[in-house]
Amino acid sequence: MTRKDSLAHFAVTVVGKDRPGIVAGATGVLYRLGCNIEDSSSTMLGGEFSMILIVSHAKPFTKGRLLDEFRGLSDEMGLSVSVRPLTRGEAEYRAPEGELCMVSVYGSDKPGIVYRVAQEFARRSINITDLNTKLIGTKEEPVYVMMLEAALPDGIAVEDVAALLDEIKKELNVEISVRSITPVSL
Amino acid sequence: MPAQKILLYPHPVLKKFCNPVPAIDEEIRRLTEDLVDTMREGPGSVGVAAPQIGATLRLCVVDVSASRLGRENNHGLLVMINPEIVHREGATIGREGCMSVPDYTGDVERATAVTVRFLDGEGTPREVEASGFEAIAIQHEMDHLDGILFLDRIVSLKTGLFRRKSYR
Repeated sequence: MTRKDSLAHFAVTVVGKDRPGIVAGATGVLYRLGCNIEDSSSTMLGGEFSMILIVSHAKPFTKGRLLDEFRGLSDEMGLSVSVRPLTRGEAEYRAPEGELCMVSVYGSDKPGIVYRVAQEFARRSINITDLNTKLIGTKEEPVYVMMLEAALPDGIAVEDVAALLDEIKKELNVEISVRSITPVSL
Repeated sequence: MPAQKILLYPHPVLKKFCNPVPAIDEEIRRLTEDLVDTMREGPGSVGVAAPQIGATLRLCVVDVSASRLGRENNHGLLVMINPEIVHREGATIGREGCMSVPDYTGDVERATAVTVRFLDGEGTPREVEASGFEAIAIQHEMDHLDGILFLDRIVSLKTGLFRRKSYR
């Protein structure tokens, strides 16, 4: 049921100072080339707008051709464009298995909040599937907020993650909460 | 009766407003059995609506009694013919997926409790006050009868929490 057998898949990133027209510009280039946007996520980070897209083309297609076609747009709008060719297996979507959990971490800004949590997860093969961080609060009292979603391997329950993060909570002096967000299948 | 194949979007039936069941006859009994069998067959399935197996009729089945989330609080198997929600209260956001829209999930807002009026499989009028997971399942399945998919109800992108900062 997929188009995944098509010959060429690329991961394309487009980053530039936010303003109207970036999405229209980038997707216009892809449309004129006959590329499909299979998966994509775009958001504003700081004052930058960033797009990450998995695109495919039904015919053999080179990375160079894609970059060439983006050149006009990137020059005109001051965008950084990168292209990564994907092998067939790489482009394949694999739904995360097992329990999904959402983790909120927030507290006074300090180095290592993301790293310490990610490090403990990596050690236990907990797979981070989504991650957002933001610096909020005031200049005098900056507050760091991190929200992530992770897929738990067999044998690790949401309660185990909570217990694990309890240690980091003390170490970093931040607030951490964990809850199950495994989707209900209806 | 055999379990039926679940229709997948973009099958047009999934976006149809379904007709009331005029009378509970042999055909409706058969359809009801098919719905129950299809639900039992689906891995972890807790409900199926008639349009999901191709019938544009206001009929759905829900049973959350075997699910982890609904085990403690449920009315067992509910066969709901011409169901109507007569009362709803509270609001909760939860992540849903649907057998007719594989590989996608989204955060949907639902009432935390609903009172639903319907005819059961025998044609007897019933009124059920459901809450928790059962209430969510009922709302999801009843949406199918109006041609509404959970995709129509997604309230936020996953990153919605992060949209408010001003950059000055």
